[in-house]
Amino acid sequence: MSTISYSNRDKIFNHMILILLSLSIILPIAVLFFNSIKPHVELGTNPLGFPSEIRLMNYYDAFVKGNYARVFLNSSILVLGTLFVCIPLSGLAAFSLAILSPKGSTTVVIGLYLLVGLSIPAQLYILPLFIMWKYLHLNNSYLGLIIIYSALNAPFAVFLMRSYMIQLPIELFDAAKIDGAGPLKLFTSIAVPLSWPVFLTSGLIVGLAVWNEFLFAITFIYDDSIKPMATILFSFSNRFRNDYTLISAAAIMMALPMAILFILFQKRFISGLTSGGLKQ
Amino acid sequence: MIKLFLKNMTPWYFLIPIIVIHFIVIAIPSILSLALCFTDWNGFGKINFIGLDNFYELFNDRVFKLAVWHNLIWTIFFLTVPISVALLGAFLLTGVKRFQLFYRFIFFFPFILASIVNCLIWKYLFHPKHGLGPFLENFGISLFTNSPLTQKETSLFAVGFVDAWHFWGFLVVIYITAMYQVDETLYEAAEIEGATKWQKFRFITFPMIRPTFVFSVLIIMIWSIPAFDYVYILTGGGPAYSSEVLANYLHFQAFRNMNVGYASAIGAMMFIYVFIVITIFGILRRLDWEI
Amino acid sequence: MLKYIINLSMGSLFSLFLISTPSFSKTLVTWWNWGNEGSDLAVTITEDIQNRFNASQDEIELKISFKGEDVNEPTRTALLAGAGPDIITSSGSTYVRAYYDGGFLKSMEEYSKKYGWNKQILPWAYNLGVFDGEFYSFPKNYESMVLFYNKTLFEENGWSIPQNLSEYESLAEKIKSMGMYPFAYGSSGWQPTHEHLVGNYFNTYVGPDNFYKALIGEKKWTDKEFVEALELLKKHMLDGYWSGSLENYYATDWDGFSAQFVNREAAMLPIGTWGFEIMQAFSDKSDDWAVSPLPIISKNGGNPNYQLSIGGTMSINASSENPDAAAKVIDWILSDKSRVLEFSAKRGYAEWLIPLAYEASDFEAGADPKVRDYLIDFAKVTGAGDYGYTTWTFYPAGAGTHIWKDMESVWANDITVTEFLTEQQKLWDEARNANQLIPIGKR
Repeated sequence: MSTISYSNRDKIFNHMILILLSLSIILPIAVLFFNSIKPHVELGTNPLGFPSEIRLMNYYDAFVKGNYARVFLNSSILVLGTLFVCIPLSGLAAFSLAILSPKGSTTVVIGLYLLVGLSIPAQLYILPLFIMWKYLHLNNSYLGLIIIYSALNAPFAVFLMRSYMIQLPIELFDAAKIDGAGPLKLFTSIAVPLSWPVFLTSGLIVGLAVWNEFLFAITFIYDDSIKPMATILFSFSNRFRNDYTLISAAAIMMALPMAILFILFQKRFISGLTSGGLKQ
Repeated sequence: MIKLFLKNMTPWYFLIPIIVIHFIVIAIPSILSLALCFTDWNGFGKINFIGLDNFYELFNDRVFKLAVWHNLIWTIFFLTVPISVALLGAFLLTGVKRFQLFYRFIFFFPFILASIVNCLIWKYLFHPKHGLGPFLENFGISLFTNSPLTQKETSLFAVGFVDAWHFWGFLVVIYITAMYQVDETLYEAAEIEGATKWQKFRFITFPMIRPTFVFSVLIIMIWSIPAFDYVYILTGGGPAYSSEVLANYLHFQAFRNMNVGYASAIGAMMFIYVFIVITIFGILRRLDWEI
Repeated sequence: MLKYIINLSMGSLFSLFLISTPSFSKTLVTWWNWGNEGSDLAVTITEDIQNRFNASQDEIELKISFKGEDVNEPTRTALLAGAGPDIITSSGSTYVRAYYDGGFLKSMEEYSKKYGWNKQILPWAYNLGVFDGEFYSFPKNYESMVLFYNKTLFEENGWSIPQNLSEYESLAEKIKSMGMYPFAYGSSGWQPTHEHLVGNYFNTYVGPDNFYKALIGEKKWTDKEFVEALELLKKHMLDGYWSGSLENYYATDWDGFSAQFVNREAAMLPIGTWGFEIMQAFSDKSDDWAVSPLPIISKNGGNPNYQLSIGGTMSINASSENPDAAAKVIDWILSDKSRVLEFSAKRGYAEWLIPLAYEASDFEAGADPKVRDYLIDFAKVTGAGDYGYTTWTFYPAGAGTHIWKDMESVWANDITVTEFLTEQQKLWDEARNANQLIPIGKR
């Protein structure tokens, strides 16, 4: 770790800019928060400020109307399921690209393939995919969505993990090979223990993406009992109108679990990115 | 000989599971969909082969040309504004010990929010009746008297701003981790020679984080191609197509206008973008830029 | 069967306690509707239609699902995959036409004769669901564009509903000079709102007779009347008739224009009959509201008309395994006019106003007299042949999206009105050649 040393005057200057940048984020979110604890009638007279009367019932209403307990569970299942499929498999792929074949043509081909995959708009393939899923009986099920989410998030996870694993000292692997370890053993006993921070980081990013996803969710799930979190925001709007206070409360409740996770793992989250893409 | 072959195959065994999933979910349906670009399928009825008609029509399509142009502007916008702000934020953060974790969390926070939520916040703030406009009016500042989302001249940038607002904190995290890897003695040496902050950034920090920087450029260029949700939620491409981008136009043609064949042709054209991006990076790799 | 086993195992694997016990003894009829789970609309429909139907008999189990604001996308995708509900909801004729062309709808001709639907549903609405001589869909709601106005404000100032263009424009100027908007309206959250305005100007400036001729191909969209109507609309739009300016119009959503109208920021609200819902907000105001047909704005005036419009349709899925049961559900809904009105009243007459021949006696004693009078007036006026057309009911797919999407380009001065209408004509010609037009009853 290294930091640049600054004079006191510089430090104040730094903080000023950082505070400005922070305010540009905090203020809009504060408005969202204020609206979430405002009585609906106050929106018209006091659209931006702190409420004159705090109404926590918005949260209760959103909780009940949006069926929060259930969608929370559904989203958790989707997130955990996706992590369970996507992270180990992406790890295997990253290991292959970084350790087994670091300079081979495989890396180039697969790298290109995944890059192209990242750039295809979902609107292009969602229709045929739906029809395929129907024939595979994967529609309207957690499993069907978990497979889709794993595929959608795999490229980024693979790139991230590869850039971390490529930093691992190759000597360790060579030594183990001499001791007769197979590639799978190299993966489980050296690569995984040494690069677990990046597993955690990609897990957080993939989990976040799944938590917030709604295009595939509303298309592939038609049973309300297995609907995920992102779809409930719409429960408070009609064809033409919105109930801002309830939507704000629901939005906060939707963000809260992820915010807590990121606070808990903040330091580790960074260490998974450390040396990401860097070659010392 | 067989042994050698098997040995070469080993990397593939590790790749196959995730590649197969990815291939089934994304590649196969995309190819199926692209095959429709030679047809006039409306998404319901018979599929008629019409050759290259969709492409002839595309080249005369005013909106398609606008969308291509807007995607280009979008990419350039994301390659400049969020990247500069994030570089500034990250560079300043490395010089701060107190509250550093706090700042970092704040910067990252919008990235945690779903796109719908971010759009909700900004649509509300830009609203001419109850948003920032009337609020600033109280102080005699006539900014945002009209929502920038509803003005032809600003809508694309307004949408880009909201997307960037949510995205730049992610870049900060990537950059700051790279900046921490920079050897401290380099800064000390520069200090002795009386380098300014800008010089330190220009001649030490930036060259040292170049691989991460290039990675971020690649990711931004790739992610700019299918940019959709912010446009769709905030403006729907309007007013008067002033914020129309390719993915939104594709969506409109396929799902609103019942022109699935035409939408596939748009999708096919989008691949040209992809190949341009990839070629650029291929050249950079040749030039020995580590990515 | 395989599907069932897989679904069951998935279900038990991941959501042990979330699956409600299905009832095996009854025939299951599924039905997808628009709206969001948990919304007021969904709650009303579930309680008043699903639950009451299920309680009324013990052979059929009706299950209504809510697919979000846009029911068409999930329905279309499901139909393509050979799935979908037994009862299909679409948002209008354009989709019915496409579903019919794709062979996804079951003919209801037999049921219609058997249960007498052809006599219950108003003829103009019934005909919209007749393709190649057979009955495929019926509207579950009918609408019209009307003018709500602040009656108190009008009385205070001695204003009356304009009878021709010059009265219309001078009233607008008077209202503007008092610091109000002539009309509350805006398109935020629903971009196709623009087509309401286009349709209004076609019906009230060009007139329904010429509009009809253009719809059936006897007139061109590029004819002088249509150009004039849209030039006028553009002029009025840029003059700020709706919410003060084009930008405000784009930024104003349902809540916004409701508030404008209720709080006297605007004097009038030209909106569909779904706007009756907004009028409930007058209950605690000193102002009172009134409703009238849209003013005729041609130079010489004319008879006011009501535009025919349907909001949403119902059909039976061609691949339904229980079409007879689905027809029974539909018949249960259609058979009791006062029950339909009772549902509809709960939604402020914005939804579920099935076009049946209502009489004064069908209304509950507590029904809103203004709504009742409107509905009876609608029957009288349209019965006399004074009816117009709405774009979203009578336009084929391509022209129907172009009419609102590219209208913005006209207002932005990117294209001229003539260029816009030339493109309209081209899209109509294409649809006509491909036999994709919506059935239009003879005038």
